[in-house]
Amino acid sequence: MRDVVIDEIFAAAKNNRDILFISADLGAKALDDFRRDLPDQFIHAGISEQNMVDLASGLALSGKTVFLYAMAPFLTARCYEQIKCVIASMNLPVTFIAVGVGLGYDHATLTHFTPEDIATMRAMNGIEVLSPSDAVSARAVVDRALADPAFRYIRLERQAQAELYNGNAGSALDRGFAELATGEDVAILACGYLTHKALQARQELAEKGVSAGVIDLLRLKPIDGKSLAAVLADYERLVTVEEQILDGGMGSAIAEALLDAGIMKPIKRLGMRDGFEVVNGNRDELHALYGIGTDDIVAASAAA
Amino acid sequence: MNFMTAKTTDLADKAAWLRREIFEMVIRQKKGHIPSSFSCAEILTALYYGDIVRYSRGWADDPDRDRVIISKGHAAAALYPILADIGYFPAEELARFTQPGGLLGMYADFRVPGIEGISGSLGHGIGMGAGFALAARMDKKDYRTFVVLGDGECYEGSIWESAMFAAHHKLDNLVAIVDRNALCILGQTEELLELGDLEDKWRSFGWHAVTANGHSFDSLMRALSQVGDTKGKPLAIIANTVKGKGVSFMEGRSEWHNRMPSEEQIAQARAELGILAAQTNMAG
Repeated sequence: MRDVVIDEIFAAAKNNRDILFISADLGAKALDDFRRDLPDQFIHAGISEQNMVDLASGLALSGKTVFLYAMAPFLTARCYEQIKCVIASMNLPVTFIAVGVGLGYDHATLTHFTPEDIATMRAMNGIEVLSPSDAVSARAVVDRALADPAFRYIRLERQAQAELYNGNAGSALDRGFAELATGEDVAILACGYLTHKALQARQELAEKGVSAGVIDLLRLKPIDGKSLAAVLADYERLVTVEEQILDGGMGSAIAEALLDAGIMKPIKRLGMRDGFEVVNGNRDELHALYGIGTDDIVAASAAA
Repeated sequence: MNFMTAKTTDLADKAAWLRREIFEMVIRQKKGHIPSSFSCAEILTALYYGDIVRYSRGWADDPDRDRVIISKGHAAAALYPILADIGYFPAEELARFTQPGGLLGMYADFRVPGIEGISGSLGHGIGMGAGFALAARMDKKDYRTFVVLGDGECYEGSIWESAMFAAHHKLDNLVAIVDRNALCILGQTEELLELGDLEDKWRSFGWHAVTANGHSFDSLMRALSQVGDTKGKPLAIIANTVKGKGVSFMEGRSEWHNRMPSEEQIAQARAELGILAAQTNMAG
């Protein structure tokens, strides 16, 4: 998914010298070609995210279209003040591409987790927050960023993900979400990696006689509450699941959007809670520990 | 070369004018930072009236203009009278400093013609300036970028991240001028947390670094004559200054950072600054 994103930027950059790609020492297979063929449009900012963002502001103010690329925790929390002061404040066309969001760097533990990036980044003035769940949606997102440069935050997975969108995610991106599977009883809302878990949970729920729909939230800000409410109208209840502290995360964003649209529905939010324990383990094991695994989604969705 | 010519006398007159403008602008609204602005009055005067910064009168968007970033955003007020004087916006705006509907705020706002980027939070100017300088090179433009920093601002780690970056990329079209007034809000920098030899620090980061007397045009112009002449290296000028320079009771006194003088003190300051009602350009 990150390779497709970099490939798209690479292809566009070949024809547009004003497109610049800046990395804070994070690579990718696709980036090797970019660096070799367009050395003047690739910049290594150093392991210096604050510099990277300040630099991006000067370049963007000079008419450049800038893409910043780093591990999620260091592209967000580490340089949060820079993003606020020199990008958001001037609404500059800088795209932040974060890799390994949520618990993506599972074995690296806490310093590499971003259990707060949705809450923090969506609080930025004027930002658009996007969370593609496969290569197709990632391509749609980056194509939008190239066609219409703006202040955006794009959340990517480290590893390739199974394809969920059959070749085209453009209309889903227009709406900001997609009903990947329909159901009658309960709608499970997720984004990125956990959308895949939600689809697994849907299978298990079907075996239990519960009909679940799955909504993939491609865009976390802004959320079109009315459009989302229309799709959710036929469901009795909602379950949201995320690799985030619940305060201000995806579930909060959905609840806010629905409330603002005048819709009241029972919502069960699954996510990380204060005092979450940090242990060695892979992502599935962490999900089980934090109560956001497939079993937890099934249990929450089956409960009336 | 001796810079103590008739020209530096003119510059001294201009700096005196600038202090008067700043003082009246701030006093009128009782908002702003007089001492931070006064410590860099000669620096800004030298840049704009000493034929250093290239600009087009009345045309803030000239693509070939030199970029000036007032990274110590507290001193944005020091730049406003100059920007009005070179025709970037009407001088009447000075009288509406910090007022609703007015153009000019307490800190540097990029919507003000001549303010290249936002500041107020410290530590962003060198990275932003490196972005301008790198873009100039990419676009084969010969404009230069000047960043006016505070010495207290050099406590910010991001300054040094960007200093390293600018040196690596040999941005010899980038100039940092550090207003070394040796004071921050709580007192003397060297007592609170030693900044040490800033010239040495910038040099060790790969910059061509020199020290100047930030209130002497002879010294400042000598240092600034090296702009464009530091092949392969960005230029750092450590300008030793006095915070509050020009008003005796404010000079070197950290408690005046954002304090407003009493009526009696205003009268004294005006006398020291040579302010007569007719002397300021201010409207209203």
